[in-house]
Formats: sequence, structure tokens, C-alpha cells
Amino acid sequence: METVRELPRDVFINEIREAAIKNKNIYFISADLGAKALDRFRAELENQFIHAGISEQNMIDLAAGMTLSGKIVYVYAMAPFVTLRCFEQIKVAIASMRLPLTIVGIGAGYSYDDAGPTHYATEDVSCMRALGGIEILSPSDTSTVIEAARLTYTKPHFRYVRLDRTYLPSLYNEGDTRFVEDGMVEVDKGKDICIMSSGYMIHRAKEVRKMVVDSGIDVGVIDVFRFKPIDGRVLMSVLQPYRKVVTLEEHFLSGGLGSAVVEALVDHGIVKEVKRIGIRDQYYCENGGRAYLQKLSKIDVQAVSEQVKHFAEKHHSAR
Amino acid sequence: MASIEELKSRSLWLRQELFELVMRFKKGHIPSCFSCAEMVLALFYGGYLKLDPKNPRSRDRDKIIISKGHAAMVLYPILSDLGFFPKEELLKFTQPEGILHMYADHSIPGIESITGSLGHGIGIGCGFAYCAKRDNQPYRSFVVISDGECYEGSVWETALFAAHYRLDNFVVIVDRNGLCILDSTEKCVRLEPLEEKWKSFGWHVLTVNGHSYSEILRALDEATTNKTGKPVAIISKSVKGKGISFMENRPEWHNQMPNEEELSRARKELQVNCIVN
Repeated sequence: METVRELPRDVFINEIREAAIKNKNIYFISADLGAKALDRFRAELENQFIHAGISEQNMIDLAAGMTLSGKIVYVYAMAPFVTLRCFEQIKVAIASMRLPLTIVGIGAGYSYDDAGPTHYATEDVSCMRALGGIEILSPSDTSTVIEAARLTYTKPHFRYVRLDRTYLPSLYNEGDTRFVEDGMVEVDKGKDICIMSSGYMIHRAKEVRKMVVDSGIDVGVIDVFRFKPIDGRVLMSVLQPYRKVVTLEEHFLSGGLGSAVVEALVDHGIVKEVKRIGIRDQYYCENGGRAYLQKLSKIDVQAVSEQVKHFAEKHHSAR
Repeated sequence: MASIEELKSRSLWLRQELFELVMRFKKGHIPSCFSCAEMVLALFYGGYLKLDPKNPRSRDRDKIIISKGHAAMVLYPILSDLGFFPKEELLKFTQPEGILHMYADHSIPGIESITGSLGHGIGIGCGFAYCAKRDNQPYRSFVVISDGECYEGSVWETALFAAHYRLDNFVVIVDRNGLCILDSTEKCVRLEPLEEKWKSFGWHVLTVNGHSYSEILRALDEATTNKTGKPVAIISKSVKGKGISFMENRPEWHNQMPNEEELSRARKELQVNCIVN
């Protein structure tokens, strides 16, 4: 039971703070993004916190030098800035030298809904997926955030942890950590058709499931915790009961979760009917909040439900 | 610690080595190496770097990055001479069976970081310097950047950071040869007054003739006993292609290869030491 609704970033940083108390080699670097938990980190572990200035490029190269010096380093900023602003730094200094370092991005998808496209992370997954050797984690609730954080210091690796800005309700039962090993877990059983999603959107997928049940459609829901790499055997076994697969993401379709899933299906010779649902291929400068942006992008629960119904009922002669 | 006379003979040796290294398979960047040759030789043979060739990753070693990655090969003859890898590797430079790549990377003994894309080495070297401070380690971090590299915004991000954290164990050498690929820096996009720029970022700035050991040694002595609380920038005024007359100050020679006539002319010129003091 969660008595306090902790934000994903606070859960993550608190976990790192506890590890950093014991391990003085852990350093947390921020490019001026805060958190309640970070205030505590800074107060308690002043010597293990670095303010990099609003200088993401230097933050990454600096972190590379520190990792080469034996430190366990976290770089932290809003998702669009800590990925795209310093993308080439990540490629050269981190990826090409295979450095075990954690990039923590806050604000998946339209998290920063009022801020506009500068703050949206709607292409970060495709960009980061393109980097050689990276592991991408997308937690969907508090327990997944905790396990993601633990992985970063128990098994240091070149990782991007993509966190939502907002509170995410509980998805897994206490003690259920299958997602760590498998990277994806069926959180709701269905029949014939399932939705694969993650983060904020996995909770929308669950709403879609409820919405279409009246139409006699029993949708399974699969939470994808690890976007890269995707384990082909797990994918095959998780999707085994399903003939049709919907992927749902608050991200452009080019290179996002849907692409990752489709590529993995093709690569492993798994034949499924797939429908990818993501943001329409354009940026929106609109007031109205996240729900409105999702509506414009045709990824709101209503629109997705309609698409799922249509897809579920569609019969293909050539099969 | 080598005397100026010894360093001068090293200059003759290094230029000849580098020239043949490049000519063997017609790969590499001669003029960019020649502009920083004296600075690098002074660092390695002047007693400023604490290194252990038998243990290239020893914890307390000084760190050096040639951030202008196209010229990182300037280190290869030196590293092999010091015993980081066998001299035979020089014969296999850029070849499939060799460990020496055209642009250096951390897989090569004695090389701390991958380079080749400008504006990274300074940040990585800053990470080394920061950790040395935090861990109370005595080592220093040296980074050689090109003047053209100063166009990269990331250089100035690091410049701010290093000054703020008072990294006086951090020495950045700007190889001010005045040229980038297309033209002189001042014609492309003006960099001057460069010294004032570094000063205004809170750095202790020294300007030297990059081909004068007496000036270089004085600057490195000061940089390595620096108690100003500031990181040190040494602006090394140099000549791109120094030592081969027809390459000197000519941007087109950045990665051009000489023809037969130019080849013999260059070899002849490299028999005479271009360094006087």
C-alpha cells in the first residue's frame, strides 16, 4: 500500500540515495532538474552530487571521464534534453566506449503537457534505441521504478531509464518482479487480442481493456519494461495466446515501442497481426493538457478503443 | 627529464616517424600532428606526465587526451618508444592486423579516450580532473584541443564547469595553429581574442610559442605547480605543418598526400631540425 504518492523520479532517486550512502563511488549529476528526493540527496550526500549547469553536452562527457575513473554515474535531466541535446556526446563518449552509465530522463511522452514540443519526449525512444549497446527501461509503476533503480547499481550498464513526470498507479503485486528478468509481462489476460504498452500508457491500455469489454472483446495487456533488448523467446511465449497485437505509445511511430516490437517479431519469425498506435506524425503547440494532446494525437482511450474494436473485428482473408 | 637539446632531437625524430607512418599507407593527418609535436614531446619527455607503460591503467597515472582526434596519432611513435606497445605496431598503422587506428581510441594502450569528434576530450578530461580532486589523488589531467575545436559549444560548457569547481589540476592546451579545414579561423569565424575568452571564463591563461621548448617548458612548469585555484589554458601558437615548408600554413594539406616530387622534398626537409630552441 502506498501511503504517499511518490513521483517516479522521487522513488528512483531515493533508491539511488540509499545505495550512494553505502557506496561513495556513486555520483548523481543534474543539469538543473530537481526533485524532492534530490533535495534530500543533495543535503545528505553533498559530495556525491554535481550540478552540471544547464550544460547537457559537458554533463555527458564529464560523466564519461568519471566513469572511466571508476565511478558509478547518473546523469539526470528532462527526457528530451538528456537524450537529444547531447545525443552525439552519448554516442561518442558513452556508447562507443561501452561505458556503464545511467541516463535518467524525466517526462516521457507528453508528461510536460503544458510546456509544448520542446519538453515532449516523443522521439527519444527511437533515437536512443539506435545507439549500439544501450539498454532502455520504461518503468510503469513504483515497483518497476525501484527495480530499475536497483539494476542500475547492481548491474551497471549503458542504460536509459525513461520516467514519467506524473505519479503512476500500482501495476504489479508486491514481490512480483518477473519484469526484471523477462523485460515484459502479461498483466491482464485476454483472448485473441492484446495491447503492448508501457509507462503512463499501460494504464491507458487497461482503461481501453475495460472500455471494449462491453463489445465482447477480451483484451490482454502486456507491460513492456525493457524496450531494448527484447528477448525473442519471452516475446514468443507472452504473445503465444494471441493472434492480434496492438502496440500503444505516447511517442511517434517511427522507431518507438511499436517498431521495437515489430522488429523483434520479424527477427524471431513470429507471425502476428499487428496494429501500431502512436502519436500522429506532427508536433502540437496546444493548450489543454495531456488528455487533450492525446485526443489530438488519436491516442486517447476513446480513440484507441475504437481502433482496437475495429482491429479485433477485422477479418483478413489472406492469412 | 630531457634537456632542451634532447627534446630538439626528439622533434626531428618524431616528425620523421610520423611522416613515414602516414606515407606507408597514405593515411593520417601530418600538418595537425606537426603543429602540436613540441608540446606533446615536452609533456611526455619533459617529466610532466607520471605514467607506467607496463601498467597503462595504473590508478594514479596522469591522464592525457589529444582531443583533436585526427592528430591523436602524434602519440603513437611516443607510446611505442616508451613501451606501451611494440614498435612493430607502427608498421601496421591503420591495417587490419594492427592495433593502431587512424583516430585513437581507448582500446590502444596509453590512450585514455576515443577521439575524432571535436569537443569531447575536454569534457572527459575534466571528468578525470574532477575525480582526482574528489579522491584526493595527485594526478593531473591534460587535454590538447585544436583552435578550431573552440568553435564547439561543449568546450565552453566544460570551461565554465572546470573553473567553477576550481580544477587547478586540469591543463588544456589549445593548439593555436590558426587553421581549420577550409581556411584560417579568423576568416572562417573569428576566434580572437582567444586569450581573453579563456581568461574571462576563469582560467589561468599562458601563451607560448608552440615550437619553442624554452617557452613550453616554462609554461608547463607553471601549469604543473599551479596554485591559482584555476584550471590552466596554454595557448600554444603554432604552425600547421611545421617542418615541411610547402605544407606550412596551407589548409589544403590537412589530409592531402604528397606526390612523388613532394615526397622526396619533404623527406629532405625533415632531415633538418626546424626547432631552434
